Amino acid sequence: MDQDPIFSLEEALARLDDDRETFQMIVKLFVEQGPKELAEARAALDSRNAVDLARSSHRLKGAILQFCAPAVLQACKDLEAAAIGGNLQDAGELYAILERELLRLMSALRLVHSKGIPA
Amino acid sequence: MATPADVTTFRNVVEDRVPTVLVVDDEPTARMALAARLKRLGYRVIEAENGRAGLEALRRERPDLTILDWMMPVMDGPTFCEVIRQDPDLLSSQILMMTSHDQPEQIAEGLARGADDFLSKAASKYEVMARVQAGMRSAALIRRLEHVTEEIRTKQEALERELQSAARYVETLLPASGTVVPGVQLIHTYRPSLTLGGDLFNIIQWSDDFLGLYLLDASGHGVSPALRSASFSTFLRRDSLLHHVGSNDPGAILTEANRQFPLTENGHYFTIVFVSLDLRCHTLSYATAGHNGALLHRRSGETCWMAQPSLPLGFDKSTTYVTAELPIVLGDRLYLLSDGLYEIPDRTGELWGQGRLDETIRRFGDRPLAEAVSGIIAESIRWQGHEQFPDDVALMGVEIAV
Repeated sequence: MDQDPIFSLEEALARLDDDRETFQMIVKLFVEQGPKELAEARAALDSRNAVDLARSSHRLKGAILQFCAPAVLQACKDLEAAAIGGNLQDAGELYAILERELLRLMSALRLVHSKGIPA
Repeated sequence: MATPADVTTFRNVVEDRVPTVLVVDDEPTARMALAARLKRLGYRVIEAENGRAGLEALRRERPDLTILDWMMPVMDGPTFCEVIRQDPDLLSSQILMMTSHDQPEQIAEGLARGADDFLSKAASKYEVMARVQAGMRSAALIRRLEHVTEEIRTKQEALERELQSAARYVETLLPASGTVVPGVQLIHTYRPSLTLGGDLFNIIQWSDDFLGLYLLDASGHGVSPALRSASFSTFLRRDSLLHHVGSNDPGAILTEANRQFPLTENGHYFTIVFVSLDLRCHTLSYATAGHNGALLHRRSGETCWMAQPSLPLGFDKSTTYVTAELPIVLGDRLYLLSDGLYEIPDRTGELWGQGRLDETIRRFGDRPLAEAVSGIIAESIRWQGHEQFPDDVALMGVEIAV
């Protein structure tokens, strides 16, 4: 099984009972929606709005869960926890980690989307 | 893998349709992934992107199960649950709340606010399937319960209509209040404890100056005693009595009735008081079978309970019922009444009793008969503290003015 270290294609497919068509659909949706969610989180962080930051990171987390990507999931959880706790001091750094990991995930997903899933 | 087709639900049996799941989640990727998984399991899936849209879909589609995200804009999951638990049309909906938090206090809050079960967003496909199927089983049982409840309610309404119809028929068997024959006035009231009662009373006019009156009580409550009473009242018609008894003597009538109406298989029986009024000779004759509900209130103010120790009808075929006789004068009043009128407890359990009834009847002695009858009923209601009598109540007042 072809596997990118940023996410587990095998596990992600297993969550969908190996429904490859649906997997490609959620990849396409996430590649479109993910940057928007990330931008919302950035805007919330810039405006020091902890509530909106928690909401954006929570939504991202729900999407990331579908791809079995532990590093980006953990980054998202950390940012959400900081926002819920009102800890915006650390949020900037946590956001940077999330952004980096998320971009890696999306890059990997784009590759899967364009090349297709190995049989 | 089990599919909804493998999981036979009551609802499927009843409605023969694909079970429906409503997925309410504002995050489109997660919502699409879950919807796809559910569709693959064989469910029909409806999607909504927030609590308010979910509520509209729930009202419109009535899904078997709703899978709901906790955190959502517009209306969050717990608020969604609270709204539907307060809506009589929706409150039995099955809700599976999704959360990425699985702290016990959050689960407790979700359950307290109306969720039926929880599902972690990180749950394995096996757990998702198991939770959904458990929710479907609950939904099917609830739907079945609602279906059966509705069936029972419909049947109950039909039965109630039948009972009302039967009650109207029984009322046609009762005599009209007013002047029975010149100089004899009858006022009565009848309050069955259920729609249909087992008490029945009537007047038999043997001639212009000779009347028969009876009050009978079939043991039990409801349809069966009402039917038995109606049957007995047919026996007590004038022509029937002349044919079967050949006499207007109360004792002879009850003796023959005792042979005609044995105990039922369930041990039910009749009690009865039968009175004959001879207006020409100014005498009253009576016989009782297990009944002690006849009272003569003399114009002088005295009262006399007309009771003889006797078995109810049907206990012993060889019983002979004896007629007793009393003189009557103008202005005397005769009351035939059910024991349900005075065997009524107040809030402490103390019965009103024959003594207080006797006293009440004497107190109303100088009032018109109609006022006396309604006053007696009002006093008994006042004693028990409510309008609903625990047993059938019949009260028949007769005033002799000739």
